[in-house]
Amino acid sequence: MAAQDRLTADTLTRAELIAPVPLRPLPLLRVDGLSVCYGPHEVVTNVGFELGRGESLALIGESGSGKSTIARAVLRLLPSGGHATGRVAFDGQEVLGISERGFRPLRGRAIGFVPQDPANSLNPVRTIGAQAQEAAALLDEADKAFRKQLILETFAEVGLDNPRRVYDSYPHQLSGGMLQRVLIGLAILPRPALLVADEPTSALDVTIQKRILDLLTRLQHDLKISLLLITHDLAIAAERANALVVLKDGVIHEAGRTASVFSSPESAYARKLRADVPALNPDRYAASRDRGFHAVKTGGGDTPKIDVGAVTKTFIVDGKTLTAVDDVSFIVPAGTTHALVGESGSGKTTAVRLLLGLEQPDTGTISVAGEQITGRSPEALRAAWRHLQLVYQNPFTSLDPTWTIERLVREPLDRFRVGTSKERVARVREALADVGLGGHLLSRKPGTLSGGQRQRVAIARALVLKPDVIVLDEPTSALDVSVQADIVEVLLSLQANLGLTYVFLSHDLALVRQLAHTVSVMHRGRIVEHGTVAEIFDNPQQPYTRSLLASIPSGIAGAAHLPQARLRLMATAD
Amino acid sequence: MSNAYLADAAKRLAQAFIVILLAYVLTFVVVSILPGDPITNVLRDPQNGFSEDEIKAIIAAQGLDQPIPVQLWTSLSHFVIGDFGLSMRSSRPVATLIAEVLPSTLILASAAFAIALLLAMTIAYGTQFIPKQLGQGLLRGFPSFFLSVPNFVIGLMLIHVFGFQLGLFRVIAPNSFWATFFAAVALGIPVSARIAEVLIANLDKESEQEYAAVARGRGLTQMRLFAKHLLKPSSLPVVTVIALAIGELLGGSLITETVFGRTGIGSLVQRSVSTQDLPVLQAVVSLAAVVFVLVNLIADLVYPLLDPRVKLVDGPRERPSTADDSATAKSAAVTS
Repeated sequence: MAAQDRLTADTLTRAELIAPVPLRPLPLLRVDGLSVCYGPHEVVTNVGFELGRGESLALIGESGSGKSTIARAVLRLLPSGGHATGRVAFDGQEVLGISERGFRPLRGRAIGFVPQDPANSLNPVRTIGAQAQEAAALLDEADKAFRKQLILETFAEVGLDNPRRVYDSYPHQLSGGMLQRVLIGLAILPRPALLVADEPTSALDVTIQKRILDLLTRLQHDLKISLLLITHDLAIAAERANALVVLKDGVIHEAGRTASVFSSPESAYARKLRADVPALNPDRYAASRDRGFHAVKTGGGDTPKIDVGAVTKTFIVDGKTLTAVDDVSFIVPAGTTHALVGESGSGKTTAVRLLLGLEQPDTGTISVAGEQITGRSPEALRAAWRHLQLVYQNPFTSLDPTWTIERLVREPLDRFRVGTSKERVARVREALADVGLGGHLLSRKPGTLSGGQRQRVAIARALVLKPDVIVLDEPTSALDVSVQADIVEVLLSLQANLGLTYVFLSHDLALVRQLAHTVSVMHRGRIVEHGTVAEIFDNPQQPYTRSLLASIPSGIAGAAHLPQARLRLMATAD
Repeated sequence: MSNAYLADAAKRLAQAFIVILLAYVLTFVVVSILPGDPITNVLRDPQNGFSEDEIKAIIAAQGLDQPIPVQLWTSLSHFVIGDFGLSMRSSRPVATLIAEVLPSTLILASAAFAIALLLAMTIAYGTQFIPKQLGQGLLRGFPSFFLSVPNFVIGLMLIHVFGFQLGLFRVIAPNSFWATFFAAVALGIPVSARIAEVLIANLDKESEQEYAAVARGRGLTQMRLFAKHLLKPSSLPVVTVIALAIGELLGGSLITETVFGRTGIGSLVQRSVSTQDLPVLQAVVSLAAVVFVLVNLIADLVYPLLDPRVKLVDGPRERPSTADDSATAKSAAVTS
């Protein structure tokens, strides 16, 4: 705290020199006319905002909006080739133009940084403790044992259960959530005045996301740290920040206090962003979702499309038996969407591998369209796969970058020797048209497509064999909120038109509520609760389900628990 | 060091021993089927004046009338206990011949290795710290330049400049300090290029990693970032390169010793080849195999100690599998 007090004292003298009679307190961070270029390409154009002491401000936008670039420009951590112009004043001092030597004293000590990807943000070949000592070295504390004590206390403060073990661990020995806590701990350890958090939770499960965000909010309040939060999720931003800056293509579309931007957005883009957040619009697709559902219900038979009966699968890992899927049963009527909800390690991926016949269960049976999947030979499974297709999680890694779109979508037809080559091309065009892509993309390669277009290609690839069942493995988790909305619309219209049955894996309950009909909540390999979407969401019975539901960011309503002191400060600042 | 590590290390050691034996057998077989019979060449040389009976007696005494597999077995069983037999040319034990010249080669090779490491580190360090306008590009060109100039040309240039022009050492005293130093430089330069290439590429890659940016954001100076964060992960692949570079040192020492007129393993091999002294060649080739195998064994054993993510023996990895991995696996399975 001593360092911070001194900093404030310095600043006051300096501020008095610059403006003898300040009309209002000097903002901690003031960005003015900031532009960032990579070579001739300008990615951020003339951006300006202010962040007051103890306040929080969120930069919101989809990928490519320049929000992370702004954060990196403020931190002076732009990748090589990036060049920032304009003014960034920290605590009244211009920091963009000064030398690295002049800026270094602010790094860590005055401006802390919580990065986006916890798995790659710590040196993999050094222990956590060695890296924490670097952060502790920023404090004027010569005694190494005392510094270690301080590190352990900070680890406990950020909710790490066994600080000593964490201290001696290497990064690969900890989970993503633990690593993110470590990174937050390292950032707050020198007690900075400003914390820049770049998508601090996008790589984490929902319940961990909530805990990390709660932690940031609490630390911000307790330590009087200002928070610059970068996120693509308007619900999170509204819940956690006093002020919002909405960005698109490097330009500010809207900025202001959270309450006004959130409840009455003025720009078209902010309105769209708001409409695309599943958590804020649970019934957005209710009509189209239920249309398909009712059509099937009135016309269809009673045999469920998918019948999973008491399936158990165990693995032996390092001599220990691990029950990945434990007595799991569910049925999915034709033309409906069944969501398997759970966090990493809940067993939902194994359940789907069993459904696809990629693993054989120890006990239990699985049938699809009345045909048994379990106990089949590889050849018989191939036949089943014509009716059972999978859409992968990450369209950036699931499509071979050297193949053309035509070849990618045609491959299943080639493998199953469907029709003549002319018919195959016609079928590829049809599948692309189904997902709303034009034939002009046929000769393009994945690298030239956007994330949303790529996932449409992946869906077309699954559709091309005219399957009845499509397994969707977190199909939108690698995509932006607005692109996610786009993909959800494609999926729902396909279901309504083709009567597809979906098995939908997700940890995003808000999204599940938008598009699923029935839900199974998985936890540690078991289904802890199942039912229709209305039953689960309106009247959850199990504590685990309730904790999942409580983790959905709720926008401005959730801001009620924001510290009142800061809200008042905000009001006086205006 | 865990018990599992020691058990794995013992397994590797046993494997290395088998590889060395196989190398010995292979050398023996290749030498046996080569055309030309050095024994007869020497014994039947009229100048030596052996009678037919004497020749037969010598051949029987050496066991050379035995079938090849029996000869191999005898030779191999001697090799295992460190007996390399007698040189045909000088009739002295091969082990003694090698022991006489080995120190000279070892000094040259280790000096060359030290120079190579130092040079590679200096170049790599420079590429990270020297600004672009002050010749960073020039420095980055050094490794490929070093690799494209043959070892003996470097040696001759060094002799010309430092020996004849500057008079730092005399060519007729090849074991003096400066002569050894420049021989080591000639030998070390191409090796340093290989190490530097890998080190620079990895430093460039690691400094673009997110953790490097985060560490800089923690207020580390460029120097500390290099020393504490970038050097170790960038050096890991260098361990493998070094193991390969040792082979290059062995091969290169043969040429360098000839150019600088030094005695050593190189000159011994050269002499033995020209006189078809098979026992010596067999011993040197086997010795080279031993060095190669041992160096690679050491590299394999050291790697897991440097990189906590690597286990010595393949098996279930500690690394948690990511969603992308399983997606790829599924992809392969479903489309096949």
